[in-house]
Amino acid sequence: MESRKPPPSALVDNHVVPGDVVLDLAEMTNQTIKLGAGLRQDCDTIQATSAGRLRLSKPSKYWVESSQKRYIPSVEDTVLGVVVDTKPDNFLVDIKGPNLAFLPVLAFEGGTRRNIPKFEIGTLIYARVVKANSIMNPELSCMDATGKAAEFGQLKDGYMFDTSTGLSRMLLSSPTCPILEALGKKLSFEIAVGLNGRVWVNAPSPSNVIVVSNAIIKSESLSGIGQRSMVESLLERLS
Amino acid sequence: MEYVNPLTGFRVDGRRPNEMRQLKGEVGVVARADGSALFEMGNTRVIAAVYGPREVQNKGQQVNSKDALVRCEYRMADFSTGDRRRKPKGDRRSTEISLVIRQTMEASILTHLMPRSQIDIFVQVLQADGGTRAACINAATLALADAGIPMRDIVTSCSAGYLCSTPLLDLNYIEDSAGGPDVTVGFLTKMDKVTLLQMDAKLPMDTFETVMDLAIEGCKAIANYIREVLLENTRRLECQRG
Repeated sequence: MESRKPPPSALVDNHVVPGDVVLDLAEMTNQTIKLGAGLRQDCDTIQATSAGRLRLSKPSKYWVESSQKRYIPSVEDTVLGVVVDTKPDNFLVDIKGPNLAFLPVLAFEGGTRRNIPKFEIGTLIYARVVKANSIMNPELSCMDATGKAAEFGQLKDGYMFDTSTGLSRMLLSSPTCPILEALGKKLSFEIAVGLNGRVWVNAPSPSNVIVVSNAIIKSESLSGIGQRSMVESLLERLS
Repeated sequence: MEYVNPLTGFRVDGRRPNEMRQLKGEVGVVARADGSALFEMGNTRVIAAVYGPREVQNKGQQVNSKDALVRCEYRMADFSTGDRRRKPKGDRRSTEISLVIRQTMEASILTHLMPRSQIDIFVQVLQADGGTRAACINAATLALADAGIPMRDIVTSCSAGYLCSTPLLDLNYIEDSAGGPDVTVGFLTKMDKVTLLQMDAKLPMDTFETVMDLAIEGCKAIANYIREVLLENTRRLECQRG
């Protein structure tokens, strides 16, 4: 019977750079491992292909956690896309990836040929990645798994800005990110975070939008305590 | 002119024959680029910016749709040299070095993971003091790693020469202009593979091997430094976030 316990790796939770040998498969007989982003198999070794921190999730999934400005599409990721072109059957959407994504005109709640949405070029859309292969363009959908619109669709008004993929993950992390928690206690605003490194903010007043946007942008290089103190000083100036 | 002092064994700039110039690397220097780096080898200073992987802009350029298209543009700033000689954008030297950098980087980039996309590498020499193509390759490596583009290994480059019957590591402009042999090597350290080998002038085979080995040792030292820069950058980001 196969032993499926995670293989020992001295580099787990340590930083790696491209070319670093992470695991030696010759020493790991009858063990099943899964490779995530930033790793590849080369003969009997597993090597890092990008710089970052090596992570391991039970039972035995390895990946390199890093932060970039570009996004590599992955199924079930929620993304913020900008419509760059319209075709009869689908919209071409820029999601900051290697290729433009397709958003079928029927990938909306109750979507039929009669009620095709009219999106102009430049429209901001919150969508879900449903297909992601390197050999074909990613495919998006504005429905959840049950076919409901949920929070997906066109985002009107507000302000959209680009961040790194690392900051996006931090904003979507659980428990709630300190910056959003601190801002949410004092200000009312709407926020949509895409895992592709785009953030959309909307609030009743433009000053609130500016405060929230600037706070989020600056939070990338701050610890939790630093984020809270920054929000306090920003709100003091605002009042 | 004496390029190596026969008594002390020191070079024109006070270095020993097998001593490199001081290295300095910094990533994330261009805010708008997907990845960027500033790399200094002594008085040679180079900035590199990487954009991509992104949608191919000119479909006609892509020969093989199964791999990413890598484009490279090398330029020397008008103020990079002492005599301020203006060079046209597409001069032959720049075109050749652009091709050299592209081929060297393609050996390292896992292009098959990003089919039907393109990666643009822009390299600008801000200050030239010999060994610009080696510095450009090192800067491009740092910028690619900063952009998160998957690579087989860190590719580094270093030059070595042979003057006054002495193999010299990492030539500066004065030594480079002396007319002696100049060997530039691109090297994948962990894989132990040479991806670039260029030589000006002629060298006997046994001497060439000595000079090439010296250049490879230089590449290994640069690889260790680049590795430290990347690790330090990752640590710094995490420390800031607590």
